Amino acid sequence: MLSAAGPTHAGPVRIPMEHGFSPYTDNGGTTLAIAGDDYVIVAGDTRQSEGYSINTRYCPKVFKLDNNCVLATGGMAADGQNLVRRLKQSIEQYHHVHAKTMSPSALAQLLSVVLYGKRHFPYFVWNTLGGLDADGSGWVYSYDPVGNVEKRKWACAGSAGHLIMPFLDAKIGHHHQSQIDAKTEGKPGSVPFDTAMKYTKDAFTSATERDIYTGDLLEIFVIRKSGVTVEQIPLKRD
Amino acid sequence: MFLSRSDYDRGVSTFSPEGRIFQVEYALEAIKLGSTAIGVQTKEGVILAVERRSTSPLVEATSIEKIVEIDRHLGCAISGLTADSRTIVDHARVAAQHHTFVYDEPIKVESLTQEVCDLALRFGEGASGEKRAMSRPFGVALLIGGVDENGPQLYQTDPSGNYVRYKAKALGSGSEGAQTELKNQYHADLTLAEGIQVALRILKQTMEEKMTEGNIQLATVTAAKGYFVHPIEEIKTLVEGLGQTAPGASTPATPTVQ
Amino acid sequence: MKAPRATSTGTTIVGCIYDGGLVLGADTRATEGPIVADKNCEKIHYLAPNMYCCGAGTAADTEFTTALISSNLELHRLSTGRDARVVTAMTMLKQMLFKYQGHIGAALVLGGYDVNGPQLYTIAPHGSTDKLPYVTMGSGSMAAMAIFESRWKKGMTREQAVELVKDAIESGVFNDLGSGSNVDVCVITKSKVDYLRNYRKPNEREPKEQSYKFKRGTTAVLTTEITSLVDIETEPSNAGASEGRA
Repeated sequence: MLSAAGPTHAGPVRIPMEHGFSPYTDNGGTTLAIAGDDYVIVAGDTRQSEGYSINTRYCPKVFKLDNNCVLATGGMAADGQNLVRRLKQSIEQYHHVHAKTMSPSALAQLLSVVLYGKRHFPYFVWNTLGGLDADGSGWVYSYDPVGNVEKRKWACAGSAGHLIMPFLDAKIGHHHQSQIDAKTEGKPGSVPFDTAMKYTKDAFTSATERDIYTGDLLEIFVIRKSGVTVEQIPLKRD
Repeated sequence: MFLSRSDYDRGVSTFSPEGRIFQVEYALEAIKLGSTAIGVQTKEGVILAVERRSTSPLVEATSIEKIVEIDRHLGCAISGLTADSRTIVDHARVAAQHHTFVYDEPIKVESLTQEVCDLALRFGEGASGEKRAMSRPFGVALLIGGVDENGPQLYQTDPSGNYVRYKAKALGSGSEGAQTELKNQYHADLTLAEGIQVALRILKQTMEEKMTEGNIQLATVTAAKGYFVHPIEEIKTLVEGLGQTAPGASTPATPTVQ
Repeated sequence: MKAPRATSTGTTIVGCIYDGGLVLGADTRATEGPIVADKNCEKIHYLAPNMYCCGAGTAADTEFTTALISSNLELHRLSTGRDARVVTAMTMLKQMLFKYQGHIGAALVLGGYDVNGPQLYTIAPHGSTDKLPYVTMGSGSMAAMAIFESRWKKGMTREQAVELVKDAIESGVFNDLGSGSNVDVCVITKSKVDYLRNYRKPNEREPKEQSYKFKRGTTAVLTTEITSLVDIETEPSNAGASEGRA
């Protein structure tokens, strides 16, 4: 964000001066991930905005990586895209050097190290990484911009993250609830896939209602042992 | 009109007209003078055994360390100019730790070996004339044993930066005879205990001195225990056990190895 | 300590004159920072029977400013015995806003029909005014003005004007994050006002995937304790007397 120059002195000539330059901007948008016993859902809207303006209605912030992992980036789009390029390169390099595919846990640690490597000029990104572990169960890793990482079963971040999180805590974590229907609602942190998809869609349509930075299109990535699939669902555009 | 061989001896980065770099070849010779080291790969783990050859009876043989730990799942036996191996082992340890730090997983045995070999040719002067860290090739060869997701593996590195994977390999002064014996005695179904017997038996044959618990070193790397240096009492039992059986005979008292 | 943040109507409001009247338009989104506070608020305020005023800016300021001026216009009508003129309302509004030096965050689009025909003004928070055939205000003013600048022409019909105003508001609704939800339209002619509340609803929410009603008993009762606050004594029962219930 560039700040417009103001009159800084009383002389007859005004020199355009840049002051208070900030290298960061928040491009809004929301991300969400739910891990199950044999899947991970990683979703994000595709609106990219700045202030009250929409830069584009379709700029993906969820990326499939080459090792059956999916990364959702929220915050500053430029930093997110750059980070993903770096990770993709690292994953390929690792493949060449070690003659194997990088495991999700290795990628999770790598991402933390990469983020902390810019401790004093961080990537302005809130990451959520999804992948299946060695025995096929889904996991979500969520990060702050400087590499603090937490391994979880569900996560959300971005402009409507604070709106969605209590919903997930209640519906997936079953916080403060007895009388759960195990067939449709599963055990805490282990929701049936169809239910998790419903939660994902409802979380985003509801966030779109109340968060001005969320909308346009929802992109849902599903990770399974067989690979990654993508689904697109239109969201409200106002 | 070739220059005499000795002229090409001097430069560490000069090929001879026959396409050889003599300093590297001499370095390869240096390791043949080193003490004998034997590595055996079995399904259960890798065995590393070395002789602690001392120049004088006054030397405390136990102070000669020729098998070292690189990581919890990696060990290495040294033959040649052992002083050179310090640089390599330090580098290998840093590489292994770095991998764990970055990827939260142990480094593969082959990756670690490659990492070590990357060091081997960093001698002489740099392309743009900058000073290199090392003036000559390393005079040491390593047997790197370890366990990873591909099972137990044994690699041998040399001063040229080459590495080769072996089922069983001997290095150092007694290597020629030992390698022949390994070929005779090795088979794919060896247990770890049997592998130890094979390694010690052959080591014993190559040694000029009488083999005792004090003048050899024995380590194994297994999935369960990782790198493990066998204690002197156990080696004592093993060495005594060897004395009672003729080479090539069936395995005597099973050593305690988990 | 930070001052409390007022609800602002990051808004698209417009006005447009046509032959024989004028059309006002507004979106219906009210925001508090990045959050939508009201999905269907009213931004076209009543000033007088022949005058309406769209408000953008701080919600409370637009609400109270228009209400106050509306009262004063009514008093003015009673004391003069005539319908108040649009220019009078405009002057009252600008004098009030100027007096407060911009601290009242109201950006207004004023439209009305009087003896001089249809008139349209904008009044900025510091008190400056413009009189124009088509105007826009609020955070969506650029988006809306883009529509006016490309399609406004002299001598439009009522239908054309309403369509243009609707499109201008929708342009704000879809392209400005501060604006959203529905389109309100108000058509003012010589003797009639048509307030078309929710003239268009282009952003209706689709039904959710499932119901989120919690089952009775979802919240576990951990302990129960009943304390008797009164002692109920039953009188020795006589035949026919009702029994006291505990």
